[in-house]
Amino acid sequence: MDFNYDPVLQSWRFLLDGLQVTLLLSGGVAACSLILGTLVGLARRYGPQWLRVVLVFYIDSMRAIPVLVVLVWIYFALPAITGWNLPPFWSALFALSFHLAAYVAEVIRAGIESVRPGQVRAGLALGMSGPQIVRKIVLPQAIVRMMPAFGSLLSLAIKDTAIAAVIAVPELMRRADAVAGQSYAPVEVFSTVMIIYFLIIFPVTRAVDMVYKRIAFLGRS
Amino acid sequence: MTAATLAMQPAPRVVLQYRDVRKLYGDFVALSGVSMEVERGQVVCLIGPSGSGKSTLLRCTNALETLDGGELLFDGVPLPRDPASIRKVRQRMGMVFQNFELFPHKTAIQNVMMGPSTVLGLSEQQSRARAEALLVKVGLSDKAGNYPANLSGGQQQRVAIARALAMEPEVMLFDEPTSALDPETIGEVLNVMKALADDGMTMVVVTHEMTFARRVADHVVVFESGQIIEQGPPAQIFDAPIQARTRDFLGHLGWDA
Ligand SMILES: Nc1ncnc2c1ncn2[C@@H]1O[C@H](COP(=O)(O)OP(=O)(O)OP(=O)(O)O)[C@@H](O)[C@H]1O
Ligand SMILES: [Mg+2]
Repeated sequence: MDFNYDPVLQSWRFLLDGLQVTLLLSGGVAACSLILGTLVGLARRYGPQWLRVVLVFYIDSMRAIPVLVVLVWIYFALPAITGWNLPPFWSALFALSFHLAAYVAEVIRAGIESVRPGQVRAGLALGMSGPQIVRKIVLPQAIVRMMPAFGSLLSLAIKDTAIAAVIAVPELMRRADAVAGQSYAPVEVFSTVMIIYFLIIFPVTRAVDMVYKRIAFLGRS
Repeated sequence: MTAATLAMQPAPRVVLQYRDVRKLYGDFVALSGVSMEVERGQVVCLIGPSGSGKSTLLRCTNALETLDGGELLFDGVPLPRDPASIRKVRQRMGMVFQNFELFPHKTAIQNVMMGPSTVLGLSEQQSRARAEALLVKVGLSDKAGNYPANLSGGQQQRVAIARALAMEPEVMLFDEPTSALDPETIGEVLNVMKALADDGMTMVVVTHEMTFARRVADHVVVFESGQIIEQGPPAQIFDAPIQARTRDFLGHLGWDA
């Protein structure tokens, strides 16, 4: 089989712009899901009972519904119901963040619960208040303990952006699809795309692992 | 004690008074009919077999557990129930745990500063000065910058004692402070505790270190199955116990009464 990399080389600018959109969307999803997920995780752990019930329902449904379905629903169904029309990029940012935040919330909750009860008791014995204990003792340790899980979610945040191709967000996958279609060189184009994703995500997960190894003792009580 | 020194001591002589204290976990009776007193400056040692309720009594003392019956007076006042007042009470009692419970994400000195800076609201400078002095006192001024992960068990426990002392408590509660330690580091912790006792600190100590109890305690309380079976001065408990069960318990530990 002959490989023809001309289509890739000819449209490298076009693909590079797609990569930029991918990275922008990934960063946005990572940040938004982290913020939303942290709030949900904290509220689920410390909030009032009725709120917990609502949030458990949200978390369970996000874990039960494929992210593609959430995305398509928010892009096609939500505007039909509400009349708001979000552009594809914003729909993708919203859908992917909303989906991933449920996983972030679960990680946050598990991290909080993995801190030994004795640590809370030590804070109480000093006369600290509940919020002080959460802020100064539990969360700092929980965040360290959650790092490996956050590393996986971060790679998921980047990978999931490829799904945005179905609603025509002009990110890497969407553009690769276009190039492959025009040039009849799917092997070369999609192999390139695969390698690009790998080259972005592999160092990210490795870096998280390395940092975690160095600071794990900060969360080990 | 002369009349003059008595007049200078407005605080009541009895710091902690337990009256018929009762504690349940479900229908399991963890404590029942526990009555005892701790006087200012006294060292009271609680001994007894595993599961006899010693830790439970300590946790009731600083309101980490609520009583199911009886009364617990601190400085003549029943333990409060509202969270803000409970916190005020806890600020006046220090607690030291079997597993140290140092904060792993804080250095030794930051651990000691935690109480003064977050609870007492002292400035960074003031809490640091206080913490430095306390680390000197427990013999660890050279380890101020170490994280707990880089301290031996004995050193961690001494930092934990300093952390509790940083609140300038009126009473110190120790729950088996040496049980998790290697034999060679037990002595350094007991020495710090002995020095505290000599300084006049009021202390309630749950311990299996009978030599320490014999030497340092003013009063020894023997627990079994959630009840006090005998209490008295160490000479009585260790040399001439009245109850056969006390003798049995001490005999199991290899102590000949
Ligand atoms: N949170 C709890 N829930 C249910 N039971 C408990 C709880 N805490 C303690 N208990 C029970 O109460 C009893 C007394 O426990 P406690 O920890 O006070 O014993 P102890 O005298 O300190 O023993 P040890 O020497 O092993 O520390 C034990 O039988 C224990 O299983
Ligand atoms: Mg105990």
